[in-house]
Amino acid sequence: MVLSFFRAGDTGLDHVVTRSVAMVSDARHSFDLACTALLSGAQPKSIADDVRETDLRINANEQQLRGELAVHISVHGPNDIGEVIGLILLLKKIERVGDHAKNILDLAESGVSFTNEPDIDELLEERRTVSGFFAEASEILAEHDGIPEGFRDRLDQMIDQIQGRIDGYMTSDEPGHQVVPRAVYHRYLKRIVANLNSAVLAATEPVRVIDQAD
Amino acid sequence: MPTGARAALVVALIYLFLVGVSSLEAGIKIMGADTQERLFSAVSNPIAGLCVGILGTVLVQSSSASTSVIVGLVASGALGVEQAVPMVMGANIGTTVTNTLVSLGHVRQSAEFKRAFAAATVHDFFNVLAVSILLPIELIFKPISGIAKWVSELLVGSGGTEWKSPVKKWVKEPVGWLKDMWDQFGASGNVKGALMVATGLVIVLVALALVTRNMKALVAARIERSLNAILGKAGGLVALVVGIVVTIAVQSSSITTSILIPLSAAGVLTLRNAYPVTLGANVGTTITALLAALAASSPDSLTVALAHTTFNIIGILSLYALPFFRDVPVIAATAMAEIAVRRRVLAVCYVVGLFIVAPLVGVAILR
Repeated sequence: MVLSFFRAGDTGLDHVVTRSVAMVSDARHSFDLACTALLSGAQPKSIADDVRETDLRINANEQQLRGELAVHISVHGPNDIGEVIGLILLLKKIERVGDHAKNILDLAESGVSFTNEPDIDELLEERRTVSGFFAEASEILAEHDGIPEGFRDRLDQMIDQIQGRIDGYMTSDEPGHQVVPRAVYHRYLKRIVANLNSAVLAATEPVRVIDQAD
Repeated sequence: MPTGARAALVVALIYLFLVGVSSLEAGIKIMGADTQERLFSAVSNPIAGLCVGILGTVLVQSSSASTSVIVGLVASGALGVEQAVPMVMGANIGTTVTNTLVSLGHVRQSAEFKRAFAAATVHDFFNVLAVSILLPIELIFKPISGIAKWVSELLVGSGGTEWKSPVKKWVKEPVGWLKDMWDQFGASGNVKGALMVATGLVIVLVALALVTRNMKALVAARIERSLNAILGKAGGLVALVVGIVVTIAVQSSSITTSILIPLSAAGVLTLRNAYPVTLGANVGTTITALLAALAASSPDSLTVALAHTTFNIIGILSLYALPFFRDVPVIAATAMAEIAVRRRVLAVCYVVGLFIVAPLVGVAILR
């Protein structure tokens, strides 16, 4: 550990970004696994340990990296304060995504399954799209080139689409045991997409730009 | 500034620092035996010497600077090893004022202040405890100066009052220019000596401050990595070594210990994790006086610099290595923080009392 002083390596913030990309991959892994229980008929028991361990790992990383950001500010002073604020927010958002993946597993563990529902193909397509957002978010975080045009619009569209489904379930005449689990699942899905949206925004624009000419 | 240029600047500043120490020594020598006698008698009482060490260090907020000046005074013959050892012990106490002041910045948030003040005062309590135990032992049995003298003789031999330091030759010329400069202004005798001392002091303080600032910029990422390595994972020994390495790198224990305060305040670093880092900083900071001794011509100056290192190492071996003593500063600092958070004015009284009033009273009564 003392040798870390003499070794070359990532500077503090680069290290945090690298680790946060790994956290997004972990969150995606949890999400995909939890969804297989809900949408593809996997036994919740067989994946529960993996999802929970991954969630614990994400939480532990968040705690550790927040500590490292405090060290960064203590050593370097307030020069990087904007980036540090953004990274703290980013870590929190990724941690929440992980929590919602675990919530989806909890739903499957309580006996909910959409495997034999008539709109399963639509639900699987929705899951694939959301899973793809994780990969794009990782790329954005790793490359530091800002948010590609259209990415946030697609996330917003997905949020609107999911909200439309939730609104539909809320006013549906179908029995509660059919629509409530769907509404809950879509609520988690919406929070995941919204947190990914906030995560990339936090990383690229940590504090709102104040322009006196606005 | 590019890294290479900054590194070259640091080397130049260290050279300037050595010129300052040598100028200080030359100035005292010019001032003659009377002045040396007066300085000598002013700190002949070891407790007065200890208090002067505290006050001097509080004044410049750097034990590296104050011990370098002490080394310069010993080199000139104005101070003996016996008088200088309590002074460097005082410098150890005085240097803790900086992180204690930093901790006062958290005074508005009770929980943060409690953690920050405990992390700052654990260093105070350790150093006061170390001096309380080791100074009387040193005065009676002289183990610290004995070990330092033995190491010094091993390094430079026991060949009388002068040793031919290679560094001394490198700084001789610029010190000569300073003498010539004051000659041209018509200064002579004690006035010229005083001006040389003043010039030396300014050079030492400015060079050291700039070395610290530039070294911090050079090694900030490395400091960050080292601190991350000890967060929650490392044991006391690793934290202690990190404290030594970081302090040697930045040439300032105040920088190392002050970095710990916001981390402790935020709860990122526990008191028990911060504590050994501050002890490592005690050892690391002695490198500057050792560097200063390279520019001096007297083996005694090296002995004093080594006494500072020896004192800190013995302090750690006797007070940190033994489990009973190890917890005393932690318990005392925790209790003090509890009191400070309830009566914040007492925290200010503590700082003023320990670092200003007590040493001033000590000097006034005992000199």
